[in-house]
Amino acid sequence: MKLLEITNLTKTFGGLTANDNISFAVDSAEILGLIGPNGAGKTTLFNCISGHLPITSGRIVFDGADITALSSYATARRGMARTFQVYAAAGDLTVLENVMVGCFMHTRRRSQAERRARRIVAQFNLTPMADSQVRQLPVAAQKRVTMATAIGTRPKLLLLDEVAAGLNPSEINEITDFINHIHHQMGISVILIEHVMALVMNISRRVVVLNYGQKIAEGRPDEIIKNPNVIQAYLGRRYAAAQEG
Amino acid sequence: MEALKHAVDFSDFKRIDLTVAGALMIFFIVFPITSHSSFAMSTMIQFFMFSLYGMGWNTIGGYGGQVDLGKAQYVGIGAYTTAVMLVRWDTPFWVSMPIGVLLSVSWSFIIGYPLFRLKGHYFAIATIATSLVLKDLFEVWNFVGAARGLEISPIDFQPPDFIHLIFKHDVYYYYVILAFFIIGLLYMNWFRKSRLGFQLRAIKDNEAVAASLGINVHWAKIKTYAIATAFVSVVGSFHACYIKNIEPEDTMSLDISILIALMAMLGGAGSLWGPIIGAGILIPIKSYLKEWLGGMAGLAGIDIIIYALIIMIISAKEPRGVWGIIEKWRQRRGQN
Amino acid sequence: MDILIGSLAAGILIGMVLALVALGLTIIFGVMDIVNFAHGEFLMIGMYTGLLTAQATGVDPLLTLPVAALVGFVLGIGCYALFVRFLLRGPMVAQLLGTFGLMLLLRNLTLLFFGAEDRALHHGILVGKSFELGMGVIVPATKLAAAAFSVLAFWGIWLLMNRTKLGKALTATALNAQGARYVGIDTERMNALAWGIGGATVTIAGALLVNFWSVNPYVGLLFCMIAFAIVALGGFGSVPGAFFAGLIVGLITELPGIWDFVTYTFDVDWMSQVPMTSFKYMWVYVAYFLIMVVRPRGLFGWKH
Repeated sequence: MKLLEITNLTKTFGGLTANDNISFAVDSAEILGLIGPNGAGKTTLFNCISGHLPITSGRIVFDGADITALSSYATARRGMARTFQVYAAAGDLTVLENVMVGCFMHTRRRSQAERRARRIVAQFNLTPMADSQVRQLPVAAQKRVTMATAIGTRPKLLLLDEVAAGLNPSEINEITDFINHIHHQMGISVILIEHVMALVMNISRRVVVLNYGQKIAEGRPDEIIKNPNVIQAYLGRRYAAAQEG
Repeated sequence: MEALKHAVDFSDFKRIDLTVAGALMIFFIVFPITSHSSFAMSTMIQFFMFSLYGMGWNTIGGYGGQVDLGKAQYVGIGAYTTAVMLVRWDTPFWVSMPIGVLLSVSWSFIIGYPLFRLKGHYFAIATIATSLVLKDLFEVWNFVGAARGLEISPIDFQPPDFIHLIFKHDVYYYYVILAFFIIGLLYMNWFRKSRLGFQLRAIKDNEAVAASLGINVHWAKIKTYAIATAFVSVVGSFHACYIKNIEPEDTMSLDISILIALMAMLGGAGSLWGPIIGAGILIPIKSYLKEWLGGMAGLAGIDIIIYALIIMIISAKEPRGVWGIIEKWRQRRGQN
Repeated sequence: MDILIGSLAAGILIGMVLALVALGLTIIFGVMDIVNFAHGEFLMIGMYTGLLTAQATGVDPLLTLPVAALVGFVLGIGCYALFVRFLLRGPMVAQLLGTFGLMLLLRNLTLLFFGAEDRALHHGILVGKSFELGMGVIVPATKLAAAAFSVLAFWGIWLLMNRTKLGKALTATALNAQGARYVGIDTERMNALAWGIGGATVTIAGALLVNFWSVNPYVGLLFCMIAFAIVALGGFGSVPGAFFAGLIVGLITELPGIWDFVTYTFDVDWMSQVPMTSFKYMWVYVAYFLIMVVRPRGLFGWKH
């Protein structure tokens, strides 16, 4: 059974169509990459799937249940977690406290939440800074905190929004390892919005490409990079023509 | 019980903070036995009352970041419930106070549901509006004495009445409110570590993210608002028995609402000690200014002018309050 | 029937003046997102200015408008430059409490210097005269003039905002301060100017109001709350919104009259038991609450 199935999802804002009739599915043991030029509608798609935005038409089925109309907190409670692009975890709280917020979704008791949070913090190599305020950490660590917090909610599916943005190559390697760990060790499926091609092509089993709100390609990474529509979207028609001709 | 353990566990504070707190607590307990003026005693009682008001406000306003400027209506509900039930039916305080809380909390749920669909300035103004509406209603409602208010009739020198909470000597009031204060403080210590406390802090930071972590933002705010309301209502009931003379203008005015918010903001909204520090600074100043300056002919209003200047300076210079200053100073020292 | 027309007329007239009171508040909020609790005190100062100038110089109260405007302008800019601009950096709770402190300060300074007694105007070409609008409805000339000047003031502000370069700069700052700076607009100056204009309009309203409303240092709060309700109803930041919302609120304050009309015309017994007059302003707050729940953006609001 597919973990997530998006059917004919369309999202319009007044006159602007941000997501146009998009359909694809995610398996229960899969890392799916979501790429496309800036403005293609990737984050909007995430917002629609996770319930932060109501969709104009279409259907979203998650883990066998129709979640099209659910709000973001209800979606989260069903096992879908996400990170955000322009957000670096609750600045005022410490690392540990952040992760605890995630853990509190499944327990009422502080001691339980704290215990689980400490374990997750250790898994993400954040123990030395567990009691530091997140806003004081370097970017790479902050990204790990957002991921750790999301993991705290025991998700089945994790939506990562440009988690590698602003990282240097070695940090990107490190975060790739963490994503692999989340997927292989914890059995969590991942959808990954990324601009860092090395990361997304490396790690994804399949890739979906958006451009101007529409899905223009879907397939394995090695197929996608050769796809003329994709090349055209990123590099322009002339380049694509030059490649062929 | 685990909750109790958390309530009394202050270990995440620095040693010096706990030492100061401990010393102050001893001072509070011993204070009435030492010699002092009745004026000082009443100031202390007011200090505890406003600390509690501030603590209540702090849950939704400090930790939650929702600026509520309408708490006075619950002071009124608590005070009037106790006063009316006492005057008409000789009801014990320990019965009327919980009923007051029930009424207050019920009202808070009724208006909370629509209220919390608003944010920021709109929310703040709406809280003011509801409080003023209720005050206006009380001012024309004869059952509660309308604008004249209610008076709990003069006490003959009876033995101290703990059932109805009517005492001749302030010292009894002092220890009752001190007990409430300690309970309130322990509750707040539990609250900030509890699931709801964490949820609120996440909400205050970024609501969309909080929701993505499975937090029902709307409901969390409403629950917290009810908690704040309960705090305020309890102290309101106490207020009726202590002051023995209540009227809408005194108990439910906008000034009271602002004062409550100010306690927490001045001391440090969103911190455990904030409201207490705020009350500790503001109540003595207000009391003494009123004593010395308010009475002097031709200088009417100077005490409020000074009080207003204090508010303005704090708002402009250090909105994170005294506790914010302390933390900042500590951080700077820690970095050297 | 004439009760009804009379109430409606009174409601509209007072509504226009209330709209002018609210105008300054909405401009300030539009440009810099701050809610000014001291707004009512500016009005009160405007009222005192009008009254005292008229009494001191003996000129007609209507001629005191320029003086009031000047006082309001200076007061607004002064408050901004000396205090409010420091609030802008802080969290909202500090802003709200800060302007509240300013409110207390202004109110009690006035109390200190002028005492607590009610003062009212007793002379002037319009005082004591009335117009008959037909159908037995009598309207005091002072109220009519106040409404007329309000409309003029609104028109003037509308022209300023939409037809002058300055107005466009103000609007730009209101829409996007950062962007405005990029195109070379001095947003600090715009902020100060918004306070100046906001202050001036409300002091003019005060000088108009004092023709038929007695003044003491405490009148500010009521009008402040009414202004809040109008601004919220019309949409924070919207000039036309303030005008229409003002009319609506004016009518709401005349609800007792309309209520009486319905009571007597249809002979509804329980309605006459309700002391509507005491609730005159309460309904304004109720209306605010309902609007906020149903349509938070207000009638014309573009900001949220």
